[in-house]
Amino acid sequence: MSLFLTQLMNGIGNGAIYASLALALVLIYRTTGILNFAQGEMALYSTYLFWYFTDRGLPVIVAILLTVVLSFIGGAVIERVVIRPVEKSSPLVLVIVTIGMFLALNSIVQVQFGSDIKTNLPRAYPRHVWRPGDVQISTDTLVLVGVLILECLVLYLLFQHTKLGLAFRAVSSNPESSRLAGVPAGRMLMLGWALAAALGALAGCLIIPTLGLQASSMQSILVFSFAAAALGGFDSPVGAVVGGLIVGVAQSLTTQYIKSLSDIVLVVPFALILIVLMVRPQGLFGSRRVERV
Amino acid sequence: MNHRGRDRRGASNSLRALALCTVLALAFAACGSSRRSGNTTGNTGASTPGGTTPIVDTSNCPAGQDSVGVSGNTITLGTSLPESGLYAPFTAILKGERSYFNYLNAQGGVEVPKGSGKKYQIKLVDKDDAYDAARTVTNVNSLINDTKVFSLFNVVGTKNNLGARDTVNSDCVPDLLIASGAVQWGNTKFPWMLGSELVPYPLEVRVFVDYLKKNKPNAKIAVLKANDDFGQSYAETLTELIKGTNLTVVQTQGYDPESSDVKSAVTSLAATKADAFLLGATLLACPNALTAMGDAGWKPIVYMSGTCVSKLLLGAAGKNADGLLTVTPLVDPADPGNASLPAMQLYMQQVKKYSDADATDGIVAYGWTTAALMARILENSPKLTRSSVMETARNFKDGKGIGLELPGATWDTSATDWFLGETFQLITYDATAGHTKPLGPLVNLDGKTAELSPQSLLHS
Amino acid sequence: MTSRRQLQMIGLAASIVALVVLSVIPHLTSATDTQRWAQALYIGMAAMGLNILTGYNGQVSIGHGAFFGLGAYTTALLMHQHGWQFLPTLLVSAPLCFVVGVLIGFPALRVKGLYLALVTLGLAVLFPDLTKHYVHVTGGTNLVALNRTELEPPQWVPTWLSAIGRDDQWAYYVTFALTVVLVIATYLMVRSRFGRALIAVRDHEAAAETVGINAARIKVLAFGLSALYAGLAGSCSVLVDHLANADKVQTFQLSIKFLVAVVIGGAATVIGPLIGAGIVVGLQWFISEVLPRHLGSIGILKRTLGNPAASPAIFGILLILFVFVMPDGIVGGLRRFWARLMSGRSGAPPPTPAPLTT
Repeated sequence: MSLFLTQLMNGIGNGAIYASLALALVLIYRTTGILNFAQGEMALYSTYLFWYFTDRGLPVIVAILLTVVLSFIGGAVIERVVIRPVEKSSPLVLVIVTIGMFLALNSIVQVQFGSDIKTNLPRAYPRHVWRPGDVQISTDTLVLVGVLILECLVLYLLFQHTKLGLAFRAVSSNPESSRLAGVPAGRMLMLGWALAAALGALAGCLIIPTLGLQASSMQSILVFSFAAAALGGFDSPVGAVVGGLIVGVAQSLTTQYIKSLSDIVLVVPFALILIVLMVRPQGLFGSRRVERV
Repeated sequence: MNHRGRDRRGASNSLRALALCTVLALAFAACGSSRRSGNTTGNTGASTPGGTTPIVDTSNCPAGQDSVGVSGNTITLGTSLPESGLYAPFTAILKGERSYFNYLNAQGGVEVPKGSGKKYQIKLVDKDDAYDAARTVTNVNSLINDTKVFSLFNVVGTKNNLGARDTVNSDCVPDLLIASGAVQWGNTKFPWMLGSELVPYPLEVRVFVDYLKKNKPNAKIAVLKANDDFGQSYAETLTELIKGTNLTVVQTQGYDPESSDVKSAVTSLAATKADAFLLGATLLACPNALTAMGDAGWKPIVYMSGTCVSKLLLGAAGKNADGLLTVTPLVDPADPGNASLPAMQLYMQQVKKYSDADATDGIVAYGWTTAALMARILENSPKLTRSSVMETARNFKDGKGIGLELPGATWDTSATDWFLGETFQLITYDATAGHTKPLGPLVNLDGKTAELSPQSLLHS
Repeated sequence: MTSRRQLQMIGLAASIVALVVLSVIPHLTSATDTQRWAQALYIGMAAMGLNILTGYNGQVSIGHGAFFGLGAYTTALLMHQHGWQFLPTLLVSAPLCFVVGVLIGFPALRVKGLYLALVTLGLAVLFPDLTKHYVHVTGGTNLVALNRTELEPPQWVPTWLSAIGRDDQWAYYVTFALTVVLVIATYLMVRSRFGRALIAVRDHEAAAETVGINAARIKVLAFGLSALYAGLAGSCSVLVDHLANADKVQTFQLSIKFLVAVVIGGAATVIGPLIGAGIVVGLQWFISEVLPRHLGSIGILKRTLGNPAASPAIFGILLILFVFVMPDGIVGGLRRFWARLMSGRSGAPPPTPAPLTT
């Protein structure tokens, strides 16, 4: 039993990692309506900034704040400079642009910061693992889940209970009409990307110290985050979190209990997604798109 | 148990081989055998320096290609390694190599053969393959056909070299000092491939098994392996070598090398409460596995792959790495106790002069030493031709003091011994001191790799 | 002559010129460069396939690297382990990939848009793991490397087509011939009822159904066909690259490459993906080989252009700039340019090309 619980905790821990990035993906989808391939690499760049600051001696909390703020600004800049010129083009073109960013950021990070592995990134909290009755509970998992819940709360409050949030929702559901109604659509779009970038940055700063930092760190996480967002429904932040947790738990439980699949563990999350999507094509919490004939 | 087929076909461009074979045929009436069957228990042929049958059969080599890559007083070498992508950290090898060659060239170059007074500058051309075997093959072809290198050097990756295996052996281009501890380089059907001084993976497992037999003969072993040929070779060898002992493998878990996420796998292994833990992993998976092991409160006897021996990785694992076992063929540059050795001082100096690399990184030290080994092979060759150099490499007699070679180590090859790195040091990691410490005397498994390797891999 | 007719004639002339040039490439370039041209061709083949699914039928897939790999492994294993000649293996790999594509197409009916893209991503990521699990050939790895004998062209191939020691020419010509066949097939397909049905289902599925088009059948067939193209491309890659190898990074990158080729060349155009593939491969070569050699030694640029890790950055940035300037790809851009030229003469407003909606 304790083993099951420990693997459950592991799964939740990993799931929180995927969910953090998935949340950012959902945010972008709700603003610009596309899948941001570059989400992981944006978070990666932010994490390298974090490393850079802590390597130069800045205290951890300061470094995190600085990184998140810079990423916030960076996200807005990216929207304005890279996405805006093609926002009216087909979604395919937009996807290509994010792919271009994905390639570029991953490579820029290596050129700017070196391709060697960076270890010992500091944490903002003490690292401790409790073992009550052989179940492992680590502060890493607790902090990550806690931050995730906080993020969800903040986003909920922002979108449902503020004027800004209202404007935001207006723009993402109907940019043309909201422009006519006087909502500064451009600025809302920038805000969406800025928030997503900030979320990704925070995720990176919290996750990477547990995994080690190298240029490929975000790529496998990204795949699982995609899966999580698809499972939960691309336009649902709650879905992103739930999806992430499901993927993470499925992964670790498979590792423990279905050993014959040990080298094709990926089958399980993707099979899950396929099954869910067959039954509910919009994901667990996504909203159905109504098509007018 | 070293099988070697002999292929004799018609006229050749190596008159010497034919003549020698004729002599032997008359003398022993056993020179001929069926074509390239690899499974004949052919005679292993003593290779006395008097010039008996060469180990490398050059009878099917394309004519006139023996001195390609030597022009004037420059020898051009070619290498292909990951300089971008997931395995980009291995670029550090290149920095070590270049530092050595720059140092050598500054001294006038390499003297081939030694004592002749004729010195050559070494030019190293590198190509990026991002660890993709298809790109390595393209690079190798380009290096051979376009750049016209004399020899390949320290090409990284097992699959990468396997992909180029046929080309290299048909074109008779030496693929020297392959950066991989795989046993496939002992396949006698492909004599133009030579592994570097990295300890072959089966020998690592052997050392671990011996240690367990002595200290915990009934141990239950848990294995974590990368889901690729690298990890597979550890797991398979372990299964082979524990036959007939009281050791058992209780669980094997694989992890995806592209993600280095091992927490769930290690948690599962920890639950078995096994006495020993074989870590067939590399790069970040090593410290992550050790940390997960510590988190689970599991304290087995750990053996970690030699590819993870690096101050950076071990330091990241911290206390969790304390007391683990591993091996190294080199003197540890991260150990301040070695700083006063003349070879170490030279190494530190030159690396600092010629590159921006961290000289305490074992990967850089490996690059430096392998370059030194290449130079030594060249020096030992009676002639500066591909066949002569390859023959020398197959018949290498260690003159000691190559780069950061362990004092007392013997790196040699012969007709029955196709591996170099068979003498090495068992080491343990001291987390408080922050570096490794030698454990016991030098391990000498000279000539034993072939018999310790899973035969399916050796002949594949 | 109407401007449209003129455009068609120019297109035809350009195609003929391209055909002639491409057919003599192997005799003009080194083996390494011939290999690159062949790579551009097989990427183009796969991109054309993806175009049928994504450009003409609106189903986005980022998993076609898996079908490519399936074709490659089928051919490689048949040639390496069972001694088959290359061409007969196509009789196995093409139908196999078609069937697998159709099988994937069925569940894809339920899953739309972005979700479909992600499910296909799952394919691309799973395929390499499956090969590692089931394939243990060269050196006990999932690499299948063919040796020189296996790569030799069959006896009936004339020697001018395959100079001894230059089996790269044979590989090139086979790939070239297959590409031409597929281009013609695509051209005919697009102009047939099937092609119009593809577009109808893409643009307005509900409406298409009301005029009697079986949308499900069309969509599933599109999947099968695109997989078939990708599989053939994979088979060709075995001859060209001398091996079949699948790992996650590479399969994913291939899938992306196909998509990029489609968009750069011009989605929903016959020849666009081929041009796109040429640009992608050519650009990558230019960035990783030419730039470092000529500019990489200049002091300031050394850190960026001379650094192999920088090539994807340059490529990514150029890619972004490219779609800024030509969002409907080269072919789309050429058409617009031509239309503007024509309207400039006659004074009529330029016809706008049909927008691509997905």
